[in-house]
Amino acid sequence: MSAGSREASLRPFGKPSLAWWAVVATLAAVVAVGIYAWILQLREGMGVAGYNDHAFWAIYIADVVTFIGVSYGGAVVSAILRLTGATWRAPLTRLAEGTAVVTVLIGSSLIIPHIGRPERLWELVVHPNLTAPVFWDFVAVMTYTFASVVFFALPLIPDMAVLSGDEHATKLGRNRRTLYKFVSRGWVGAPQQRRVLAGALGLVSIMIIPLAVSVHSVLAWAFATTSRPWWHESIWAPQFVVAALYSGVALVILVVAGFRRGYHLEGFITERHFIRLGFIMATFGATYIYLTFADILPGAYVAENGVSAVFGELLVGRLAPYFWMFAIVGGILPLLLVALPWTRNIKGMVLAATLVVPMMWLKRMLMVIAPANYDVVTGAFGNYNFTWVAISVTLAAAAAIPLLLMLLFRVVPLLSIDEIEEIDEMEEIAAMEAAAAYARHQSTSAAPKDAADDAMPASVGAHAMTAAAPAPNGTAPAPTGTPPAPTGTAPAPTGTAPAPTGSHSPRVAGAAGVLLLVAILGMFGAGSAAPADAATAPAAPGTPTIKLVATESAGTVQLVATVKGPDGQPPAKADVKFFLSSTVFGPRDVPLASAPADPTGVARVILGVDPKLYRPTTAGLQEFTASFVPTPGADPVKFSTNVNVSVGRSAFHQAAKKPLSGLGSALPMVLFLIVGTVWTLLIIQLGRVIRVSRFAPKVTRNA
Amino acid sequence: MTTPTTNLQDGPANPPPVIDQDSDDGPTRRSVLARLAALGVTTAGIGAGAVTLVNFREEAHAAAKPGSTTTPQPNKPVGSKEAEHAWCMVIDLRTCDGCKICTTSCQKRHGLREEQTWIKVYSMEDGKGGNFNMPRPCMMCEDAPCLKVCPVGSTLRTDEGLVLVDTDTCVGSRACMAACPYEARYFNWKDPLPAKRMPMPNTPQMPVAQKGTVGKCVLCADRLPQGELPACVEGCPMGVLYVGDLVTDVAVNGQGTTVVLSQFLRENDAIRFKEELGTNPRVWYIMGHGQSLEASQ
Repeated sequence: MSAGSREASLRPFGKPSLAWWAVVATLAAVVAVGIYAWILQLREGMGVAGYNDHAFWAIYIADVVTFIGVSYGGAVVSAILRLTGATWRAPLTRLAEGTAVVTVLIGSSLIIPHIGRPERLWELVVHPNLTAPVFWDFVAVMTYTFASVVFFALPLIPDMAVLSGDEHATKLGRNRRTLYKFVSRGWVGAPQQRRVLAGALGLVSIMIIPLAVSVHSVLAWAFATTSRPWWHESIWAPQFVVAALYSGVALVILVVAGFRRGYHLEGFITERHFIRLGFIMATFGATYIYLTFADILPGAYVAENGVSAVFGELLVGRLAPYFWMFAIVGGILPLLLVALPWTRNIKGMVLAATLVVPMMWLKRMLMVIAPANYDVVTGAFGNYNFTWVAISVTLAAAAAIPLLLMLLFRVVPLLSIDEIEEIDEMEEIAAMEAAAAYARHQSTSAAPKDAADDAMPASVGAHAMTAAAPAPNGTAPAPTGTPPAPTGTAPAPTGTAPAPTGSHSPRVAGAAGVLLLVAILGMFGAGSAAPADAATAPAAPGTPTIKLVATESAGTVQLVATVKGPDGQPPAKADVKFFLSSTVFGPRDVPLASAPADPTGVARVILGVDPKLYRPTTAGLQEFTASFVPTPGADPVKFSTNVNVSVGRSAFHQAAKKPLSGLGSALPMVLFLIVGTVWTLLIIQLGRVIRVSRFAPKVTRNA
Repeated sequence: MTTPTTNLQDGPANPPPVIDQDSDDGPTRRSVLARLAALGVTTAGIGAGAVTLVNFREEAHAAAKPGSTTTPQPNKPVGSKEAEHAWCMVIDLRTCDGCKICTTSCQKRHGLREEQTWIKVYSMEDGKGGNFNMPRPCMMCEDAPCLKVCPVGSTLRTDEGLVLVDTDTCVGSRACMAACPYEARYFNWKDPLPAKRMPMPNTPQMPVAQKGTVGKCVLCADRLPQGELPACVEGCPMGVLYVGDLVTDVAVNGQGTTVVLSQFLRENDAIRFKEELGTNPRVWYIMGHGQSLEASQ
């Protein structure tokens, strides 16, 4: 089998067949149409992709979730099976890891059509908002992508060392041989080298599982941290993780089946591989069906307005055909295909996977569109209409998976040669030891050859990495302000308009213009101002008068108005109204209170004591006015006066702080620490493997 | 003495009261607002306007970037607690007849498309099957969900409590649209309408629509420092919309009514929309559906 795996890995490097060219050309054409559609969308705006204010998130975010989700297949097949010691994985790992790298790259690229201004993506780096789940999405996806690439690249070193030997020179071609020699320079398979590589791979396989969990969780939290019905669910993060595992394993089945057929790998990849992958897929499928039920039941049962409306739309309304299609075609049928013995074969598994992948996209689409369509004010539903632009971009992304994989495996070996050979060796040793034991003890039979084969990934370690709990004030831009100095000149009772006093030199010219304008308007305004003055001027005999005295102590203002009727005596019944002059919305009189005048013609109001009345809010000179109507139908008589308010008490009460509002400032730092550690560890592993292959003591090549 | 002024939009007749006094510490948002005030007058006072505009444009661009903050004043902590205004709105549903003039005034001023209703008048049903009209501007939440989820910090909150968008850095992720519990945000899915007015610099206070970015009600943040009313408040013929200041406890509508804000809210049992979400919106509603409108006629 060892020599076979080397030969098989070299198969894609030969002169491509006509069929290969036809497939690549078709896929490339689909990708090209998608890119054209995206360029059109850039020019015309996102409206051409069917988006509107009631479908603000739709197909592209569902694509992002789907494509990044399927990349988890690589992580599960390669990392989990490596950690659990399932040796049957060996011929699948390279394909699975390649799929992971390709799909995560496509998935993260789909963010570009998703956002309105892709040319500003750089803002995520230079102006990040650390309380935003979308920012942590970005961090998690970048970290996971890097880890996937490292996980894919590390095992290439021994394989490329094996293949760059002289015996494969003709099949490899000159360019690939140069590349392989460069990558594997110094790798001789020395025990120390093997130990370091195995250690690095072990650590990266451990890391990649929580990293993948974090990516799918943060993607879910981008939805779940809003108050929209059905998005705001605690189950979404684990549900996204299981959905990713489910669809990821399905995609690995499809990719493995495709390459197995295309490059005749039947000798390495047998029915048992498909059935075992099918079992893994079925496990996740059953879990996903359970989680979907658990997701919907409580909301539908309690039937709060929003949640029940969305579930109504989903289960019995407009979206019901799609949901039940998912449930049957994407949930129950694949389970049956795995469960029934007569469909439990390669064809059955491939059919099941073919159903799962598009149906899981449909499920994500439903999860995105139903709450996005729901208007949280009216409870009505908007609509998303698929356009050829959105569909072309999505199809292009789908076509890019086989296209990039076909191109990738023109460069890197298709099978993980080293792993296959190592496991073969291990199994041979195990068989020999078993035979020896048999001979020694003369007992029953040799140990089963692949005892560890049936190890199934029981569960995925939950990862401690959590998204930033959004904090209200984490990075709220805090502009600094100049002190709220009240203007030096308080409005004088004569009514002189306060002029703006600019102090900046660039505004001198502007201020001059203002002063000129004020002066001109003042000339015109002088005449019209005169009658207003007359009302408060010393009264001629026979005119009703009002006088206002305002006194202040420690924020309490007492207004005492004295009124006299036309006869010079206090009027019998007079209602005195009190006003405050406010300039907040232009010069205005704010009605404060009214009080009846007593028999001596005195009416008073105390501000700052009664909580139901206006309390002086601003310190400094304040203008108060009292007015009364002497005879019904007559013009009111007014009098204004100024008082210096020593203590202003703002009427504004800040809302109470939320119990966990401080969390947002601490959590990002912890998360950055974790992310920094992950990147450092990954880079160290890369460095260790490169160092040991370059500088290890030369031992005989083990080829 | 002054009487309640009904006509405020003609700036020159009422030189704006200077609310903020600049100090020489570089461009802050406050000084930009003051500058806007100066700008409003100087454009009317023709000659000197151009110089100011050029200076303003540079400084506004510098100040609009959320990252560029200047040194805080030592005697005044940054934050809304000490701010001298806390803008808010009161919407008196008793008199709203659903004419939608608020929406069209807003769209005219901000150059919006027909479907971009920064203030939208919803026809709502009450518990008894009756209908009432409910204008919905941006709620200017004190705990704004949109502020938290913006990945690039393009949504910002001023000291005066206005939630604004810097459309020069907005990446168009639409996370804010997902987060807003009031559907108050609108995206520019297409090219914006051709500008009909004098080209203005794009500021968070007076945004210029850009394809691929989000937009929302700004409560006419450029007008408030000048003592002018937002376009919707000014346009409302029924006096439904009040703009208020929670600090100085004053609210006014476009029909010349001035009230003590706290008293007005208390006496009319004002409520806030979706109080249970804890967003602490700064828009209060006085419930009703035209009953006092009929009574007053």
